[in-house]
Amino acid sequence: MQVELFSSLESMLIIFLIITPVISTILVTFLKRKRIIEFITMASSFLILVEGLILVSFIIEYKTISVFNGMFYVDSLSGIIIITISIVGFLSSLYSVNYMGKQYDKLIIDSKKLVRYYQGFNLFLFTMLLVPISNNMGIMWIAIEATTLVSVLLIMLYVKQSSIEASWKYLLIATVGLSLALFGTIFFYYVNTISDGSEESLLAMNWTNLVENAPIFDPNLVKLAFIFIIVGFGTKAGLAPMHTWLPDAHSEAPSPISALLSGVLLNCAFYGILRFHIITGTAIGPHFSNTLLIILGVISIGIAAASITFQKDIKRMLAFSSVEHMGIISVAIGFGSVLGIFGALLHIINHAVVKSLLFFSGGSITQKYETKSMSKISGVIRTMPITGFAFLIGGLAIIGAPPFNIFMSEFLVLSSGFESENFLASVLVILFLAIIFASFGKHLLKMIFGNPEHKMKKGDLGKLSIIPMLILISITFIMGVYVPDPLQTLIEDSTNILLMGNISQ
Amino acid sequence: MILPTPIDLLYISAAILLISTFGLVIKRGFIDLVRAYRYQTIVLAGIVALIASITGIWELYIVSALTLGIKAIAIPKILFYVTNKLDSPIKMEINSYLNIRSSILISALLVAMSYFITLQIGIQSDDVIQVFLPVSLALFFIGLFIIISRRKALNQIVGLLTIENGLFLFAVALTHGFSLIIEIGLMADIVVAVIISSILLFRMSKTFDSIDISNLESLRDDD
Repeated sequence: MQVELFSSLESMLIIFLIITPVISTILVTFLKRKRIIEFITMASSFLILVEGLILVSFIIEYKTISVFNGMFYVDSLSGIIIITISIVGFLSSLYSVNYMGKQYDKLIIDSKKLVRYYQGFNLFLFTMLLVPISNNMGIMWIAIEATTLVSVLLIMLYVKQSSIEASWKYLLIATVGLSLALFGTIFFYYVNTISDGSEESLLAMNWTNLVENAPIFDPNLVKLAFIFIIVGFGTKAGLAPMHTWLPDAHSEAPSPISALLSGVLLNCAFYGILRFHIITGTAIGPHFSNTLLIILGVISIGIAAASITFQKDIKRMLAFSSVEHMGIISVAIGFGSVLGIFGALLHIINHAVVKSLLFFSGGSITQKYETKSMSKISGVIRTMPITGFAFLIGGLAIIGAPPFNIFMSEFLVLSSGFESENFLASVLVILFLAIIFASFGKHLLKMIFGNPEHKMKKGDLGKLSIIPMLILISITFIMGVYVPDPLQTLIEDSTNILLMGNISQ
Repeated sequence: MILPTPIDLLYISAAILLISTFGLVIKRGFIDLVRAYRYQTIVLAGIVALIASITGIWELYIVSALTLGIKAIAIPKILFYVTNKLDSPIKMEINSYLNIRSSILISALLVAMSYFITLQIGIQSDDVIQVFLPVSLALFFIGLFIIISRRKALNQIVGLLTIENGLFLFAVALTHGFSLIIEIGLMADIVVAVIISSILLFRMSKTFDSIDISNLESLRDDD
């Protein structure tokens, strides 16, 4: 009796989680007043945060939750993604009020555009939330493709030549890439049906079913299918050399959206790779997919290192830094040891936190200085003390300076690299990270310190831009010192899922 | 008179689909290209119905009808509307990167490559898969080729749609109608993608006075 009560409670929670952003989208559409739609978006994002955290606490307690005949399935791995979506989503909604409000005051956007922005924001959260909770890999693919479409709408909010170019490239490359991922998904389904021998059914596309049958899959077909998957979802996750759309799209989007794109959406796409990585590992052993992940990861970090060194645009630099960190996560998963996978999953959360901190503070800086060119930005700490401090902390954290959170996860990742005897990859990663440390650090210090070029009014850009930054700074500090117990449990559980490839273990 | 067997019908329909795909490769005008796409999609819907009658899976009839309704009627309608509304006076591909002759040659090579790849994979299974797996790959590659060889953004959309048709054929052939929900979701995705790219096209023609993608080269790191 008690079990049934809980299962209905959980299914209600999952339904609430995905229906909240839908309802707020509808409300925004009809109540077009600026104050009201801002409030609705903040309230619904807060609700998503609360629901997400409750769901994660359920996950920690019950390990796996499967509702509606296995249509929705969440485990600790989904929990990590849900945490990042709900935290960054909420803070981004707060920051949006300030950022888009400023754009509105400056007449860069009109009230019609503002409505469209908040519609897109809520829909974007909806499509991203759908990714980690769907068990059916086809539906997960549709959700990821839908994130592309919604985010294209958000990027093309400003009618500028550069944003049109960015959204066109993004739409084309991401859609072609994802069509490869669908090839892979269908291939996995096909392999499942022929090895199962049973009639094709809806179930055969469910992740739980795929993992269950994985040991009897045809190894050659699995390899082929995984290549499709890693190229497809890798395109969307920003792994080099398929990353070319990413710096354009992430730098042209409004800053709150850049934070969501870099901090959360990339993880959603990487989550797709992880799910199939588990299936592949169970079917043919982890060696094949690990090698691919390490190769793509190292290339990503290398390309990011080169691009960051010669970068002139502040937001493009942050975007390339996302390519770097997706590379680090990919390499770490590829190392395949307990330490490496733990570090990778921790890094997913840490990167989401720090990258949104950087995009928020960077967004305020570009708004104040009215340029994205780094050579024209200097003395931020004098003109905007708190924002400058936030950008400094975020910058130091992202290049892996101690005692911040990214230092901790990168340390775990690198030590696992040597532990698993991937010496070449580890040495290359250290080399590239050192280059990034130096060049990003140089850009950072030049912008933060130094004299402001011309007389500027001192002051930050309002409370709602500061509060999200302060919250993120405190998370950055705390996670640098220790990982809270519930989070530790969550990450350990997902590490086990990735290692065993089997939830029943 | 000898009636063709179902296997023959499969081969014949696959050949018609490939021929219609070549129609996309040779067309230069926007209207002609969209017409060629419509023709290709109608053939595709027919193939899905054929597979339905061979395998006896009734869901595939619905899929076939949906293909006809959404992809052969609604999407071309949107694209025709876009073409008529575009400001630019020249509504065809000019100064294409490749002339028609070499485009056909490359497409033929792509088809040969698809058959070669399928042989390498070596899937041992029923006729439907044997016939349509290489064709769906060929559609994918030709779609990709259309995207990279054309300069006008509208033609790139048609390339994207061709890729999607290949994917669709792949899904139907390999899984025999995987599930209706997913196929409906897929079609909804496509319709939304076409609408969004149409909006982008309008914006592009308004801001750049053309939909030539050579305008889209300002965002780079090496300046």
